[in-house]
Amino acid sequence: MRLIVHNMLTCNIKGVVNKFPLRIEAEKVIKKEVDFNPDFLRHMLAKIEWKALVDGARSMGYTELPDQLESEESYSFLKKFHHALLELHLEEGSLVCQETGRKFPVEKGVPNMLLHEDEV
Amino acid sequence: MRDVKLKPTHQQQEEEDEEENLSSSSLSVKSTPEIEKKYVHRVYDAIAPHFSSTRYAKWPRVAAFLESLPPGSVILDAGCGNGKYLGLNPNCFFIGCDISDPLIRICSEKGQEVLVADAVNLPYRDGFGDAAISIAVLHHLSTEERRKSAVEELVRVVKPGGFVLITVWAAEQEDKTLLTKWTPLSPKYVEEWVGPGSPMNSPRMRNNPCFGLESIPESDVSVKEQKEDEKSLESIPESDESSTREGMKMMNQQEYFVPWHLPYHRAEVSGASASALASGLAKKDDRKGAVVYKRYYHVFSEGELERLASGVGNAMIVDRFYDKSNWCIVLQKEGLNKDH
Repeated sequence: MRLIVHNMLTCNIKGVVNKFPLRIEAEKVIKKEVDFNPDFLRHMLAKIEWKALVDGARSMGYTELPDQLESEESYSFLKKFHHALLELHLEEGSLVCQETGRKFPVEKGVPNMLLHEDEV
Repeated sequence: MRDVKLKPTHQQQEEEDEEENLSSSSLSVKSTPEIEKKYVHRVYDAIAPHFSSTRYAKWPRVAAFLESLPPGSVILDAGCGNGKYLGLNPNCFFIGCDISDPLIRICSEKGQEVLVADAVNLPYRDGFGDAAISIAVLHHLSTEERRKSAVEELVRVVKPGGFVLITVWAAEQEDKTLLTKWTPLSPKYVEEWVGPGSPMNSPRMRNNPCFGLESIPESDVSVKEQKEDEKSLESIPESDESSTREGMKMMNQQEYFVPWHLPYHRAEVSGASASALASGLAKKDDRKGAVVYKRYYHVFSEGELERLASGVGNAMIVDRFYDKSNWCIVLQKEGLNKDH
């Protein structure tokens, strides 16, 4: 699971208000290079919740992202954004609901977001 | 004491009262009914690799939709199955989800960005996607409320102005002989497995004479879509069964079990078939050398998908078509106020 997906994921347990973002507990992170595409990155900047990305990247061991979105989208900024968004893979770990503490497992890079009967 | 809502006709009000009484004890729309657990989820989990091997032909209408989207689009595929469409447009970023872990594993092994999730309750925040697709998924949902919920979810997760493509199996099949190879579900069966609140239990349906059908035993003939793998297994239906079917009206029949024949050599690979056989979920056909599973389908009648989508307040129907025995629709989410 990459941070581009994590930035969209919510906890859908019935009644939960603080459903986004999910806190990442990383057990195994790998890096895979992806082609740099500034147009795509700019398109993503409009969608991304920045703080969730920064915190998520930190949980995965990457601390280079600025705390605030830079108004000037410099090349070096975009390269860091690219790396955090697309090149870090959570292979093993959990996504934790901030309100209930419920852990959604991530195994072999795949999150399982299915709820139990009593959570629906 | 119920709130009184304005209704066009008195009869519709009566029917709504009846359904609300029936559904007062039903599960949340987001809960999975038993019929889907047994005859959709468990089946796909058991047949996943075989199913995936037969799912490679890219449907041109879906490919055209995906290829029409601007480069850089984030495309959400809800019910992605074996990931056939993920990455079809190399300029877009696809995120797929399916309720079947084995099918998702197959996608993941191809390097796709996927997760295990429920299309009726997408764990996505609003408006992230540029577009969404739901290809041959909604017909596995056993109540109108769940099907509507799935449509609402697709619209919710795309941005304002975003497009949604939905395709479902049609009751009006091009190959009419196909319908005779499916098992229509009787009202008793539906009551047991779908439960109160289903439109199948509404007074309208109960009074329909065509609904006196008993569950017909499965035909021995393979479903058309399995031809690729099973040419050698085709056989002619027994004469007494086919004459019975000819005598019956198939109108208004939209609930079916559609067989999937899992060859023995495939079944042994996954241990799921042993337990499926033991629990009666599947049965052996020695003559064909296959384990036969039943998949639950609610096939859509003409106009039904449109009616379902029309009930979603913040989306407009921008295209609708019938192609290869599927009803298809394209929705656009409202709220677009500038070029995206």
